[in-house]
Amino acid sequence: MLEEILRYLSSPSNREKVLDLLGEHVVLAVVPLLLGLAVAVPLGWAAQRVRWLRAPVLGSASVLYTVPALALFVLMPSVLGTRILDGANVVVALALYTVALLVRPVVDALDAVPGHVVAAATAMGYRPARRFVAVELPMAVPVLAAGVRVASVSNISLVSVGAFIGLGGLGQLFTEGFQVRYLAPIVLGIVATLLLALVMDLLLVGLRWVSTPGLRAGAQA
Amino acid sequence: MQRLIEFRGVTKRFDDGTVAVAQLDLIAAPGQITVLVGPSGCGKTTSLRMVNRMVEPTSGTLLVGGQDVRSRPPAELRRGIGYVIQQAGLFPHRTVLDNVATVPLLTGATRRAARARASELLELVGLPSELARRYPGQLSGGQQQRVGVARALAADPPVLLMDEPFSAVDPVVREGLQDELLRLQGELGKTVLFVTHDIDEAIKLGDRVAVLRAGGVLAQFGPPQQLLAEPADEFVAGFVGRDRGYRSLSFVSTDGLAVHELATVRIGAPAAGPGWWLAVDGQRRPRGWLAPPHPGGGQAVRAGGSLHRLGGPMRTALDAALSSPSGLGVVVDDTGAVVGGVRAEEVLAAWRRHRGNDA
Amino acid sequence: MIVNEVLAWFGDPAHWRGPGGVPMRVAEHLYYTVVTVLVAVVIAVPLGLAVGHTGRGGVVLVGLTNAMRALPTLGLLTFLFLLLGSADVATVVALVVLAVPPVLAGSYAGVQSVQREIVDAARGMGMTSTQCLWQVELPAALPLLLGGLRSAVLQVVATTAVAAYLGLGGLGRLLLDGLRSLDYPQMVAAALLTAALAVLLDLLLAGMARLVVPTGVRLSAASAGGAGRPRGGGP
Repeated sequence: MLEEILRYLSSPSNREKVLDLLGEHVVLAVVPLLLGLAVAVPLGWAAQRVRWLRAPVLGSASVLYTVPALALFVLMPSVLGTRILDGANVVVALALYTVALLVRPVVDALDAVPGHVVAAATAMGYRPARRFVAVELPMAVPVLAAGVRVASVSNISLVSVGAFIGLGGLGQLFTEGFQVRYLAPIVLGIVATLLLALVMDLLLVGLRWVSTPGLRAGAQA
Repeated sequence: MQRLIEFRGVTKRFDDGTVAVAQLDLIAAPGQITVLVGPSGCGKTTSLRMVNRMVEPTSGTLLVGGQDVRSRPPAELRRGIGYVIQQAGLFPHRTVLDNVATVPLLTGATRRAARARASELLELVGLPSELARRYPGQLSGGQQQRVGVARALAADPPVLLMDEPFSAVDPVVREGLQDELLRLQGELGKTVLFVTHDIDEAIKLGDRVAVLRAGGVLAQFGPPQQLLAEPADEFVAGFVGRDRGYRSLSFVSTDGLAVHELATVRIGAPAAGPGWWLAVDGQRRPRGWLAPPHPGGGQAVRAGGSLHRLGGPMRTALDAALSSPSGLGVVVDDTGAVVGGVRAEEVLAAWRRHRGNDA
Repeated sequence: MIVNEVLAWFGDPAHWRGPGGVPMRVAEHLYYTVVTVLVAVVIAVPLGLAVGHTGRGGVVLVGLTNAMRALPTLGLLTFLFLLLGSADVATVVALVVLAVPPVLAGSYAGVQSVQREIVDAARGMGMTSTQCLWQVELPAALPLLLGGLRSAVLQVVATTAVAAYLGLGGLGRLLLDGLRSLDYPQMVAAALLTAALAVLLDLLLAGMARLVVPTGVRLSAASAGGAGRPRGGGP
């Protein structure tokens, strides 16, 4: 198998194609992750602090998460007016999905911040917004990081599945290989996807490590 | 012989080299409460857990009822030993009743018999029968602990192991549970091995108390009076704490202590003369003191001090006298009715006589 | 307007009859889902319980679970098909690989979540290892275990659509056919049906969980601050 893959890669057009697909995959998976995080954090914060927001936000997130992502890809165009396979369409759909996935961990993470630490911070004179950024958020990072890691793997996987309706990314290696009955690109695609997921995961673990020096002793992967 | 726990040179060394228990020799006499007490890391919990093989000794022999604990499979051994832990460890998915019925069911009793027994026990530990159908998550900490004790007693084991069972509840509840245990022990007479870090609890509950030093070394083992009066070394003296002398009065009786007449008046009525008057209610229970009248008229009612029950130890008599606003300690009988008063000087005189009586 | 077109699609009786009709496709979809989940449960629940109960191999389990999660389903599907030649087997295996991680993680996390004092008390009372697992750890582990199950069902329903890629049935068939004939209303219909199926199954499982999880466990979880569906089931 290894020789097959190497033979496949020996062609420059193939190499270029794989790199393009990889790039496409990264963009399609990571941009929604960042967007989703950017929306989920304030949303989760609001849901955690405002009593009556909590249930509706968590509830809708839950329902949204239940809707298969593929279905979202198809349904988004009716809302956005784009075409299904448009990059923007995919990014928005996946971002929505990421928000749905991350809201709960954000709320859980903020819940897990010990009350006495928050109280001490308030007593020292921190106003809510500043306190959130300086005290609560850093302490919420470990739990949040776990959620983001799940979202990362999930997004990478979803982009790959999307290839069967024509989406870009590494999934195209699977469809191409299938069509010409050639195993090499398929195996290459699987390996590449695994590596991508691993690299993303390591990056996230590294980020978490860097951003929580004080909590390192107790935190676990 | 049947209900005895014996440690012979028992040692526990963990994999990382720490010695938790070092050559422990100890005998817990049948029908008594033996308390293991000491600072954190002194091996008291480890020692307890070796009795039912939750922890295996590295060397030495442990006998329960004359049998080496290693001679039977652990599960079988444990079904004959009651085990009560700090957080109760009740099964959340079973009702209180079914929790208590666990060991009888394990040993093969029918469900009906096990539940009947469980009901009896719930009553024995003072829990209302409505709680039987509830779940542990719905009970308070103190109630959960009682259920834990009931559960440990369900199979009527001769031996009871208790690992800091009352440490996780607040002081008022704790005192209630301690009194309950003493009452139960009076009725059942089990052999109890009790672990605590609280020396006051040890002194209150123990028939004999073993003080352990860090690293599992036995510093002293004897009745609580002895620990208070004759600590073996600096460590024990320090651990037992200040007020040793005062606390040792808990073990001196007040036989021969004279009790005076007390001037009493019904509450609400004015004093019928000079000096202090004790206000009592319809059942002659003390409700406060009427201070001597001010020059300008009017009388203040002062809250009374602690009460000394007739026949109680010298400590309560002295405390009653010292805490009373009038200097006269109030003595009551078992119903709480006033019997008379004692003065601090008299208590101390009785104490001197007691000291003189000792060889 | 697209809404009208979609409604028209649903209104057309031809779409409800025969081997290509909605009922048939939904049945096929359900078939793959149920078979997959059953196989995954048979594999993952005992494994997760065993590792959680003995406390050994946890690190390996977590690593394995995460690695499986990262495997691309479409890639596995095409790979297995080319290798084995059977569309059915390839589909079920690929979907089982997708379903195992949440169930495995849920079972493992469930057993691990049982408070240590409870297990200590159970062992101290004289329960054997097995008795403790069945009578104490498993009931207490149910919330997280069932949460993992729900998560798995969700992912499988969502991804079973790929079966169509190999020419099999299911709602993915409606989707692909619509794609190939540029019938957007059909694609929307397929998407809506898949979404509806997913939501329905999820509600069903939630209701089942309510029935199965012992009352006492639900109460103590509530007073401790709530377990729930683990997101992706990740430890």
